[in-house]
Amino acid sequence: MSRTTRATGAAVVALALAVGTAACGDGGGSTDGPVTLTFWHGLTGPDGPAFQQVVDEFNDSQDEITIETEVLPWDSLYQQFLTAATSDDGPDIVAMSGSRLAQYAEQGVLAPTDDFYADTTYMDTSVLADGAVQASMYDGVNYGVPLNLGPVLLYWNKALFAEAGLDPEAPPTTWEEFEGMLPALTVDENGDGSPEQYPLAVGDHSTVPVFPTFLWNGGGGVVSDDGTSSMLGDPATVDAAQYWVDLVREDRITPVGMSGADADQLFQSQLAALTLNGPWLTTGLTEAGLDYGVTRPFAGPDGDDILGDVVSMTISQRLDEAETDAAFTFFAYWESVESQTTWANETGFPAVRTDMPDGAVTNEWAAIFGAPEILDSVRPYLTGVPSSGEINDDIFTPALQSALNGTGEVADLFPPAGEQVQAILDDAS
Amino acid sequence: MSARSTMSIHHRQARAAWMFLAPGLLLLTIFTAWPLLRTVYLSLTDYNLLTPPEWVGLDNYRELLADPQVMNAFGNTLLYAVVVTPVTIGLAMLFALALNERFFARTLVRTAVFVPFVVSLAVISIAFRFLLDPNYGLVTHWLSAIGLAPQQGALAQPHTAMAAVMLVGVWKNVGFYMVMFLAGLQSIPRELYEAAQLDGTSRLQRFRAVTLPLLSNQTMLVSILAATASFQVFDQIKVMTNGGPAMSTETLVVLVNRVGINNLEFGYGSAVSVILLVLILILSLAQYLYFGRRQVRY
Amino acid sequence: MAQRTAVRSRGLDHGLQQAWKIALTIAMVAIGLVMVFPIVWSFFTAFKPNSEAASASPTLLPQTWTLENFVEIWSAIPFAQLYGNTILFAGVVMVLSLTFDTMAGYALARFEFRGRTAAFIAIIVMLMIPYQAVIIPLYDLVHSLGLGQSMAGMIIPRTANAFGVFFMRQFFLALPRNLEEAARIDGANEWKIFTRVMLPLTTPALLTLGLFHFQFNWNDLLWPLVMSNNIAGATLPAGLALFAGQHVVEYGLLMAGSVLALIPLILFFLLIQRTFVAGIATTGLK
Repeated sequence: MSRTTRATGAAVVALALAVGTAACGDGGGSTDGPVTLTFWHGLTGPDGPAFQQVVDEFNDSQDEITIETEVLPWDSLYQQFLTAATSDDGPDIVAMSGSRLAQYAEQGVLAPTDDFYADTTYMDTSVLADGAVQASMYDGVNYGVPLNLGPVLLYWNKALFAEAGLDPEAPPTTWEEFEGMLPALTVDENGDGSPEQYPLAVGDHSTVPVFPTFLWNGGGGVVSDDGTSSMLGDPATVDAAQYWVDLVREDRITPVGMSGADADQLFQSQLAALTLNGPWLTTGLTEAGLDYGVTRPFAGPDGDDILGDVVSMTISQRLDEAETDAAFTFFAYWESVESQTTWANETGFPAVRTDMPDGAVTNEWAAIFGAPEILDSVRPYLTGVPSSGEINDDIFTPALQSALNGTGEVADLFPPAGEQVQAILDDAS
Repeated sequence: MSARSTMSIHHRQARAAWMFLAPGLLLLTIFTAWPLLRTVYLSLTDYNLLTPPEWVGLDNYRELLADPQVMNAFGNTLLYAVVVTPVTIGLAMLFALALNERFFARTLVRTAVFVPFVVSLAVISIAFRFLLDPNYGLVTHWLSAIGLAPQQGALAQPHTAMAAVMLVGVWKNVGFYMVMFLAGLQSIPRELYEAAQLDGTSRLQRFRAVTLPLLSNQTMLVSILAATASFQVFDQIKVMTNGGPAMSTETLVVLVNRVGINNLEFGYGSAVSVILLVLILILSLAQYLYFGRRQVRY
Repeated sequence: MAQRTAVRSRGLDHGLQQAWKIALTIAMVAIGLVMVFPIVWSFFTAFKPNSEAASASPTLLPQTWTLENFVEIWSAIPFAQLYGNTILFAGVVMVLSLTFDTMAGYALARFEFRGRTAAFIAIIVMLMIPYQAVIIPLYDLVHSLGLGQSMAGMIIPRTANAFGVFFMRQFFLALPRNLEEAARIDGANEWKIFTRVMLPLTTPALLTLGLFHFQFNWNDLLWPLVMSNNIAGATLPAGLALFAGQHVVEYGLLMAGSVLALIPLILFFLLIQRTFVAGIATTGLK
């Protein structure tokens, strides 16, 4: 079926629906005319304007569909979506983090997007990065289409490396190499035990989940990939956590208790030589004039998985067929080579497509973040688990913070935390 | 005057009173009392905001009594209230006494002490977090310049994190209570002090014999307001620590927000809210009775 | 002899008094400086370029002064629109709430009627409710009344305030009893007594309570945020929250916006400062 016939078919169905429900006076656009869809997202940073640019181009490119965007801070977006999801004021399309999506999908407020992937009606979806597409799976059904994919990579400050007498073009590639560089990268001039310059900047709360990637690459994790069993109590997890807690407590590789934003600030102020973060940091660093590089994170003894922070576009369950068609049409436009080129070049995010033509992506950071070997190792964190927020914020983070603060030992904290996680997972199934 | 016309005056008065009272009371009933009743109802249900509530009776209450997170939040709230309430009241009274004296720049200082009350707590909490940052915070920088370098960030350690959010709580409200005490001080007749002074009493004696008893009404009101505010603390904790590190600053309202919005356990969160409200009511009543006994009648 | 001792001790007293005054002045000025310090820091940070906002050797004053944050803020968010919304929201709420609070407080203080104690206790209980706890049911209610996503829906639930009623009741209690008696004997009706006799006396109390309401609604983040699902319909705190994003905090813009948002509050306070203390004093708040 070509796009046109599909759209016409949908329009006929919509017309029939409209006749049937005309008396209800639903203003949601279920009539045979232009469709307007509201789209909530939380791209409040420098990536917001780039996204809006593509939306504007889409709206100008045709006169059947209009996308109206609303930007809200992520926290408020989730809160408002909760209260609005069941009312008519709710959005038609919502961008949400892959780790949040399952919670809403479970409650039935999102509609599946399997039709988008079913055939090539809208686009050939096989070119999309698999890690990004998988992030919106819940219970065997896909509920989203990737808006962006942010691999969390290693940033290093070349100037600080040179000052430390290290090769500024050779960041650490393994945990061992990283450990070997610690003496050189730590600066504690007054010897008070509180360094003026730290080797690494990593937050332990309100951040992209960096510590869980350490657990993965040490052979452990928080929850198994199938989302059914807790791994926090596994010996491999405890060992990996112990290794990093020791580095923090004894070698002071990073300040304790930072949020993600604090860690960014620390790296940007050149008080830390390395940090692990997504592509959104590049804009600020470049503006601040830092001499830095980005590369694949140092590998652990048991793996070199990369965290992929995915934001997916989801659609409300109350969309009718014409509206769903309109949403999918926009999704296909967003994933097009042209739009992805704009997105990648304006923000430094990688294109979600794996088949970008040579020379299209001119932003050096986007090219690094979007390198095929990076996109291949990208792994999502706690996606497909409805209680992911509870598991991460209420159990994992406090246990980690207690260990980092020295109020408890990893071996005492993680196994009971693991039991709590297991109880939540069992409860849900 | 006949009994009949007295009746009608009473009747007319009552009708007029209700006319004056009705709009405000009606609005409060609809927009405050009704949502409260609804919260009480939801506390007896399992409700995730997305699907209709399911009646579970007292299950939520049973669960929360055995929930270590609720007990932790209750302990933190109590600790916060027990420290912040008296410190704020004490400082407010001290500032009011000082600012009731005449001295150079008094008006400016009064304004300076009051101004925190009108700034947005959410925004200023970001400023506080920044100032206290161990690595690029100005306050930390100055402290280490005089050799008081903190080992770790104030917000990274459980005890100092609690101290920091307490500090912001005191800072924000002390000016408002100071003004209340100041107003009280200004309504104490001068002659009382002059009489006491002639008796050869010391400053401290005059404070205890004249000022304190005559301020007891303000003290009661300020105590109730300050304790209520302490039990409801939310903004600066949400911004500065989000309840961390390791839940060491999570208070009851922060917990209500977390379990309701993040975990979609809104029924459970409502039960915690109801418990919190009952606590505040009992505490306020206790304060009213305590001060009521020693109150100077007016 | 006794007199001489008195004179001498007065001289000694005078010296002590001077020393005490100087110590007091120094201490209070220091306290005042500490109190405004975070605000002063915010003010200067608004003039710092972004690269300087977080630096390893921070300074209070900007090393390079810039106005770029104050220029950029108008386009980074619909700042002017938000400013207008906030003035409308906080202003209308203040005026309506003052009206209804005053009327209700007047009724509770100056009339004897059946149900008065019950009504007063109800007001006190409502004063104690943590507003966080009722915000979701309130949101549902406003929506079911058809006022969702509108300025009216944001304003109406705020147009009566338990603290305001309580405050005005205390104020009216402190006024002499015979004020309205004279007017009643002259045959004035109750509304006239309220507007002609009572209201003119309330100015300081109204200004005080007005500032209280105004600053609360002006700074409130949660309610306007929940009630408007588009930024253009929200108020300043909701707009400024956009600068404290998940990944990036734009300190310069945030502080510039906050400084601009603080101006009306400071002006309001300075304007009524003279009567402010008097406003609370007259209520006796006792």
